[in-house]
Amino acid sequence: MDRRGAPVDVVGVGRTFALGDGEVVALRGFDMHVPAGGFTALIGPSGCGKSTALRLVAGLDAPDEGIIDMDGSSPDEMRRGQRIGVAFQDPSLLPWRTVSTNIRLALELVGRRHDSAAVDELVELVGLQEFGKARPSQLSGGMRQRVAIARSLVTNPDLLLLDEPFGALDALTRQQLNDELQRIWTARGTTTILVTHSIPEAVYVADEVLVMSPRPGRVVARHSIGFERPRTRELLLTDRFHAEVEAVSASLHRSEGQVVQLDTDPS
Amino acid sequence: MNAATEAAADAPTRPPGGSRLDRVPPRILSAAVGVAVLLLWELLARTVYAGSYRLSPPTAVVAEFFEFRGLYLRNLWHSTKTAAWGFLWGNLAAMALAVTATLVPWLRRSIGAVVLTIFCLPFIAVAPILRLITGPGNATPIALSALAVVFTTYVAALLGFDLAPGSALDVIRSYGRGRLVAFGTVRLRASVPALFAGLQIAAPAAFLGAVVGEFTGAHRGLGILTVRALGALQTDRIWVIAVLSTIVATGGYLAIGALGRYLCPWSPALDVGAVPVARVEPGLLNRLAGLLAPIAVVFVFWYAFLWVFGIEPFFAKTPIDVWAELFSEAEAAETRSLIFGALGTTLWTTSLGYVVGLAGALVTALVFILVPWLERALMPIAVALRSIPIIVTTPVIILFVGRGLLTTTAIVAVMSFFPTLVNCYTAMTRTPEGILDVLRSYDATSTANVRNAYLPTSVPALLASARIAVPTSLLGATVAEWLATGDGIGAVMVTAFTRNDFKILWVSVAVLTIVAVIGYWLVAAFELRTLERMAPGISR
Ligand SMILES: Nc1ncnc2c1ncn2[C@@H]1O[C@H](COP(=O)(O)OP(=O)(O)OP(=O)(O)O)[C@@H](O)[C@H]1O
Ligand SMILES: [Mg+2]
Repeated sequence: MDRRGAPVDVVGVGRTFALGDGEVVALRGFDMHVPAGGFTALIGPSGCGKSTALRLVAGLDAPDEGIIDMDGSSPDEMRRGQRIGVAFQDPSLLPWRTVSTNIRLALELVGRRHDSAAVDELVELVGLQEFGKARPSQLSGGMRQRVAIARSLVTNPDLLLLDEPFGALDALTRQQLNDELQRIWTARGTTTILVTHSIPEAVYVADEVLVMSPRPGRVVARHSIGFERPRTRELLLTDRFHAEVEAVSASLHRSEGQVVQLDTDPS
Repeated sequence: MNAATEAAADAPTRPPGGSRLDRVPPRILSAAVGVAVLLLWELLARTVYAGSYRLSPPTAVVAEFFEFRGLYLRNLWHSTKTAAWGFLWGNLAAMALAVTATLVPWLRRSIGAVVLTIFCLPFIAVAPILRLITGPGNATPIALSALAVVFTTYVAALLGFDLAPGSALDVIRSYGRGRLVAFGTVRLRASVPALFAGLQIAAPAAFLGAVVGEFTGAHRGLGILTVRALGALQTDRIWVIAVLSTIVATGGYLAIGALGRYLCPWSPALDVGAVPVARVEPGLLNRLAGLLAPIAVVFVFWYAFLWVFGIEPFFAKTPIDVWAELFSEAEAAETRSLIFGALGTTLWTTSLGYVVGLAGALVTALVFILVPWLERALMPIAVALRSIPIIVTTPVIILFVGRGLLTTTAIVAVMSFFPTLVNCYTAMTRTPEGILDVLRSYDATSTANVRNAYLPTSVPALLASARIAVPTSLLGATVAEWLATGDGIGAVMVTAFTRNDFKILWVSVAVLTIVAVIGYWLVAAFELRTLERMAPGISR
């Protein structure tokens, strides 16, 4: 397999936002290592800094402390090299463009505007063949998210950053897209970081699941997911899958408990 | 690991620009620019323009003011009082109309037509006609000042009433209560922020109305002072008046803005200057009714106006009289060639200024977006200039540019430039962060950002500004022609005015108003189509 994605090393990253007169420490001591071509899922309570971490890796924001390195490049260099694909929580489509031309936007930006085949392929991949000419306002929330995912994939990036891209989708479509994501990832070897709130989803698609603490966010547990690939839906029914989901779930609860315990620990 | 993003050292992407000037506090930057402008102004006035009667140095302006401060303060107070009365009456009328239009929806279109017609009147020529009724006193400037605010306040109030959350209205409906209760409990409250945004723009407009009313035959006020100063070529005096007008108009604008923010701190800044045009119901019958009913209402108002005030037939002209003057009287052909010939000149110079103003504003807004420090230095000045009724400073522009065809073009360009700049720039800054992030994540060039984000997001604001700018441009053009250039329909009107030729005056007012209304609707139709094509379902 062609593993040409970039490895991602994040060491001791902190990011603090000014909020009114005070400050919000979103991340502190955040470490993460994703090998080249690896697939890492990031999970954690709401507001713990997952989106912030992803924006830092995408070079859209700069850390206040710590180091982010991708095979010798900084996030900013990766971004300037147009090697990153992102799909955020909010699909952020251009309302005046159609589904197809929204996907094509990414190609235009990297100077490959005439690659219609790639656009058509992705429109089909996300199941929007009949909606190629529709505007975002004519789509449902989930359909918009699928357009955003297609846009993030169309340039065939070395690093794919997905921030809860399936949030507004029904379970069935979500499963389909997870399968497609896995297929694309296997075929292209793109380093992928996926932020999700669904533990089964994380366990199903990722090599490694990182569990974050509440704000200030840092990684408090790592779960290596060793299931062989390609993973199929039968896996969802197996005991070892459930055991893994249970384990991640336990870590998440423990991480959430950490803050509460500080206040309530009777000892 | 070798290369890396090192901590805090240099945040590479947080500010989109990255010039050192971005770190200068905005106040200092603006102050520095202000001082620089004053110095340059002084320098130019004392060297290049010395003795040219075009530009007074700031020091001379200040000296002139203090020398004749009694005169200035007396007239300033008079005009301000006039504007305040007009502001009061005009806004009361506008509110009453907006409430009626909301409670009785089928009247909405007709009321809208009347309000738009008022907005499209060539105020400067309306003044002598109003004076027939009011006599020589202060009533005409007050009436004009009131007329000048009706449109903005009406549009803002209507927007405010419509902004009421539909869910809250449903709650009231679910208790079996009707429109009136919904109005009192929800709509009135919800409209306050938009209303203040409208009143804010209405304040300088009221001042404009007062001064324009004083241009023709008042005994006191800055308007008549201006006309006399223009006649005597008292350059310093004209500059003092312009500066005083600017201070008062801007003061009103800022004070009402502050009051609005104090009363509704939760509300975001609203842009009533950029309200998209309402959609027309489909269907031929609807359209026909939508077209004819307003025209009928305007005619009814016209007759009612003549009848209520019992104007002598010699001065009063009905729509039929105007038609006769233009098409069936013995001298109709002569009248036509006079009016339409002059109108051609006016339209030509006006459209040139209009296009230059709009295009310049769009380009400037883009430059401001791409060069943040420039925006921070110059935008406060642009916002202040937008708040002043440029017409009040027309005499200054006349002095500076001279009395030629280009004067009209320059004034129209300046008039359409500032509101459009502020509206477009504001719209551009509201480009969703998510979209900018996507563009940034591919390291999009500035050109790509402009094409894919800033330009499209500013289109609705640009079109709304372009629509509003049609009547204001014609107003500016006629004032300029009336006061200075001796060309175009403004000159025809001033000649008619001095000769007491009310026939020509009425015909000119009617023709100019119709032209402005048609221009407004042409832009509105284009606006609707463009918004619908660009993003169906997004436009209102
Ligand atoms: N631009 C910003 N300015 C100020 N505070 C911010 C900013 N971005 C994020 N924050 C704060 O940082 C914290 C982490 O936010 P972030 O969006 O990264 O959370 P998240 O883990 O993605 O949450 P969710 O699961 O709800 O999406 C939050 O407390 C948020 O308020
Ligand atoms: Mg998030």
